[in-house]
Amino acid sequence: MFETSSGGLLGLRTELDGIPMSGRIASLKAHTIVDERWLSLEQALIITESYKEADRLRPDEAKVLRRARALDASLRKIGIDIAQGELIVGNRTKGVRDGVVFPEAGNEWLFREIDSLATRPQDPFSVRPEDKTRFLEEVYPYWKGKTLEDYIQVNVGALNKEIGKVAKINQTDHAQGHIMPDVKSWLDKGPAGLRAAALARLEGEGDPTKRDFLVAVALSLEGASAFILRYAELAEAILGGEAAESGTPAPGGATGLERRRGELCEIARICRALAVRPPETFHEALQSAWFLFVILQMESNASSFSPGRMDQYLFPYFEADLAAKRLTLASALELLECLYLSFNKIVYMRNSEGAKYFAGFPIGFNVTIGGSDAAGRDMSNGLTYLFLKAQEHLLLPQPNLTARLHRASPEDFVDGCARVIGLGSGMPQVVNDESIVPALQRVGVSHEDASNYGLVGCVELSTQGNNLGWSDAAMFNLSKALELALNGGLCLLSGKKMGLDLGNLGTYASYEELHAAYRAEVRSFVDRMIEACDFVDRAHAVMLPSPFLSSVIRDCVGKGIDVTAGGAVYNLSGIQAIQVANIADSLAALKLLVYDTKRVPAARLLEALRTDWEGEEKLRQIFIHHAPKYGNDIAWVDAIGSAEASYFASLLEGRVNARGGPYHMGLYTVSAHVPMGKNVGAGPDGRKAGSPLADGGVSPMYGRDQKGPTAVLKSVSALDFSKASNGTLLNMKFVPSFFTVDEDRRKFNLLLRGFVRSGIHHAQFNVVNREDLLDAQEHPERHRNLTIRVAGYTAYFTELAADLQDEIIERTAHGLS
Amino acid sequence: MNGIVFDIRRFSIHDGDGIRSSVYLKGCPLRCQWCQNPEGQDGRPTLWHFPSKCIECGDCVAACPRGALSSRDKAAAPKGPKPDAGGFIRIDRARCDECGACVEACPTASLGFVGRPMSVEEVLDEVLADAVFYDVSGGGLTLSGGDPVAQPDFSLALLRAAKAKGLTTAIESCLYLSTAKLLEFLPVTDLFLADLKAVDPVLHNKGTGFDNALILRNLWELADAGARMKVRLPLIPGHTATRENVEAVAAFVRSLRGDIELELLNFNPLARDKYRIAGLTYALDGVSTRFSEEEMRRFRSWAGLS
Repeated sequence: MFETSSGGLLGLRTELDGIPMSGRIASLKAHTIVDERWLSLEQALIITESYKEADRLRPDEAKVLRRARALDASLRKIGIDIAQGELIVGNRTKGVRDGVVFPEAGNEWLFREIDSLATRPQDPFSVRPEDKTRFLEEVYPYWKGKTLEDYIQVNVGALNKEIGKVAKINQTDHAQGHIMPDVKSWLDKGPAGLRAAALARLEGEGDPTKRDFLVAVALSLEGASAFILRYAELAEAILGGEAAESGTPAPGGATGLERRRGELCEIARICRALAVRPPETFHEALQSAWFLFVILQMESNASSFSPGRMDQYLFPYFEADLAAKRLTLASALELLECLYLSFNKIVYMRNSEGAKYFAGFPIGFNVTIGGSDAAGRDMSNGLTYLFLKAQEHLLLPQPNLTARLHRASPEDFVDGCARVIGLGSGMPQVVNDESIVPALQRVGVSHEDASNYGLVGCVELSTQGNNLGWSDAAMFNLSKALELALNGGLCLLSGKKMGLDLGNLGTYASYEELHAAYRAEVRSFVDRMIEACDFVDRAHAVMLPSPFLSSVIRDCVGKGIDVTAGGAVYNLSGIQAIQVANIADSLAALKLLVYDTKRVPAARLLEALRTDWEGEEKLRQIFIHHAPKYGNDIAWVDAIGSAEASYFASLLEGRVNARGGPYHMGLYTVSAHVPMGKNVGAGPDGRKAGSPLADGGVSPMYGRDQKGPTAVLKSVSALDFSKASNGTLLNMKFVPSFFTVDEDRRKFNLLLRGFVRSGIHHAQFNVVNREDLLDAQEHPERHRNLTIRVAGYTAYFTELAADLQDEIIERTAHGLS
Repeated sequence: MNGIVFDIRRFSIHDGDGIRSSVYLKGCPLRCQWCQNPEGQDGRPTLWHFPSKCIECGDCVAACPRGALSSRDKAAAPKGPKPDAGGFIRIDRARCDECGACVEACPTASLGFVGRPMSVEEVLDEVLADAVFYDVSGGGLTLSGGDPVAQPDFSLALLRAAKAKGLTTAIESCLYLSTAKLLEFLPVTDLFLADLKAVDPVLHNKGTGFDNALILRNLWELADAGARMKVRLPLIPGHTATRENVEAVAAFVRSLRGDIELELLNFNPLARDKYRIAGLTYALDGVSTRFSEEEMRRFRSWAGLS
């Protein structure tokens, strides 16, 4: 039943189809998502206390040891909890979805925003009065001048501000996440085994820096074992009546209580074992993996530590348990769903600006399933389908589920993905082995490691367990650079001088001259951005060395070098170029309407841009409708987007980051197209000042693609994906019938095959819902591409009469259209 | 050779195998009262107004050298992008000579031509843009319209060229053309999607304006020649959607050959808009809903389909 032969898989899939969500999971899900979110100061106080003690007792101790001691203290002291019905235990705070204050990284934003935190529109957190007092009186004053943020602000704060509207430097006040640890070696060795390896490496090491690092690694792993053991002790205390579980007991009376006692005994047994030895069963492996991610969050409070290819490294445990009849498919699924729920217990509290960029506090537990191996063989297995089933049951924000596709992906897997996509959670997103593996190799990754890639964060590409990808180093706003080139280096919004003064739209004699000015503007910002990125990178090594993380990133212990200082096998830095669609549309319109046909005088357009199209609505419409747009498979327009993306990538090539690795390009914004658009004035693509840029990364501007999904994929595939090795993002939308009608879903599956052949890294598919259609009635210009099919006939939704639109909205609410 | 094409729609997924592109050719030999693409009936290019894109600036009225355009009194009707009875602009087709001045002047492209002359090579170039999707799906080219038989020689040339490029080919047609000409389609058409509205000639004539004897004979001929085909019956309230007609069409299809599938197409009220926009009267204006799933099940059972 669990074998990868098709007959066995068929049986497994059939059996899985009949497994409903258990009562336990339903009640745990309710417990996970309804709780009010609170700011948690507990770990901040423990860390502060640990540093104060170090100030007294060991003032000269290396930062890496201080960090290890602070983590160790946190692991031993932080409040812990087991909730009724939980089978996978562990969290970094006692409360669910608490916003953790992490003082070592930076406290300025919280100092400014603590009063508005509970009432801010995006991602609010409630604050207990005593926490506010202690933050203001104990935490903030101690750390003033000592944080990563302070260190960066003093050294490159002015530079960051100067270039910030074009090049936004990230990770300036929090730890670097977007990392896929070596979960397999954690499972193989456990914290005790990894500690032994670090101590063995310490033998005979003479370099004091390396000795400090290795001792710190061992110390952090001792803390890890202690933390795991505390959960065994808590379970035992609950059994002994000295402690209680949170949450409401499941119904079932005396039988239910007895069953729960059995589960607590098992939790206690597992946690005792995992403190000292590696996991042996599927349940133990899931529990062990979860502890790893909790502890990584406690060390660094970073956005996104990603589990990677869980269906690969957990499969041996799953297979062996099923074969030994220690596990049924239903119980395996329930355990996996418990892990899914755990992924939703941790959120990432960002400042108000960050919450706008990354709304919904995504924590980026990105799980990658399916895909091929280095020889191109399909690696999907029975466990792969459990991940899809768990997603189908839960439809929660985490994990961020990613499906790897390749030419030989089995139809069952493709169709399984399509069915789950059709449920409307946008997951799994799909990525393409055929284009990603070569792209990673181009940036220096071995074929073997590239073939084992997974996703981190949202859509960033990483190898598993040996990489500090620094994938979110900076976002570069190409549209802002173009704006500066069109307006003599002056910001259209503020009138401030920001860029080079090479002329303006009124003075460039030809398109070529304008184009050269744009590129010069980009080049000048890239130079300054790299300087800032290098410093921020070094600042992390100075201020936030991460010994625990280093224990699960290959080569750090071997080299005796912390992961932040270049200990990993791969040391990349990713810069996002934003946004292809707006640059292609803007340059194409300038070329056609201003220079080639001379339909619009340059001076008139410049004036219109300066006044945000004031009194020039008709002119704006001409720039929208009389110049072709990216996303419609029009070769010359797509070529502009492709050339500018490639040019940007070429500016990064050859540059070496602070850890000795290469810079490379990504093409994604996730949700940052909205705040980044706020920074950009009116554009020749017909954009109004401050309105959002195209979404995602490589998506066409909303409503401007009007030739259907294949034309979008063709336009996007014109980009040179081998140069976008940091990851890309394409959003597409389909009406629900594409997934619910078998015949239509088969066509969707064929489209996915076409996607793979087109050499595009990534796509995610949203299902059009009632709200989308209501918005289309309100703002037809944003939804020109929305087609609706009713019985043998496809129509553009926005061209239908209101009453017919209403009827379709009703139908869509019922999943019919 | 040139034909008049009024749309090329990519990712067409309900008109044959795999992922296809449908090429809509102008002109149709029938005049069905319920026609879903009335803009395709006339064989010539037609000026068309898309009210949903119109910003009511009036530039087109000013641009027209023949005074063929007029704008509705803004005060008389609610403003806004939603199309209603005919939209903001009226086209006096007797005066319009389709010079295109208004199309060029319209800032939002809410005026445009339905139909433009294209060569076989031009059409094929556009269709081949999706070659990679045909390749992974066994898809290709579907000719639709209007009706491809209204431009038979252009259709044949297109199908032949597509076959030469390795695409699968299909046509959607009422099959109202001479049998001799139809048989020329056989070697270049992988799938015939044949519309059959009624077996009873009176009913057929009433709905389409033409007799069905030629159509029925052509269906026989295609079946006998071994063509791969599927028959589609559009269910039109008050016309074809009767038990008697459904049973008769089903019986006729069964008599053709054992392996020919009959598909019942639910009534589609969306076409109403096009009539409004074109200022045409729509015979089914009062009928705005589709048949329910239960009604469709009943039709299918009358047709002997599961």
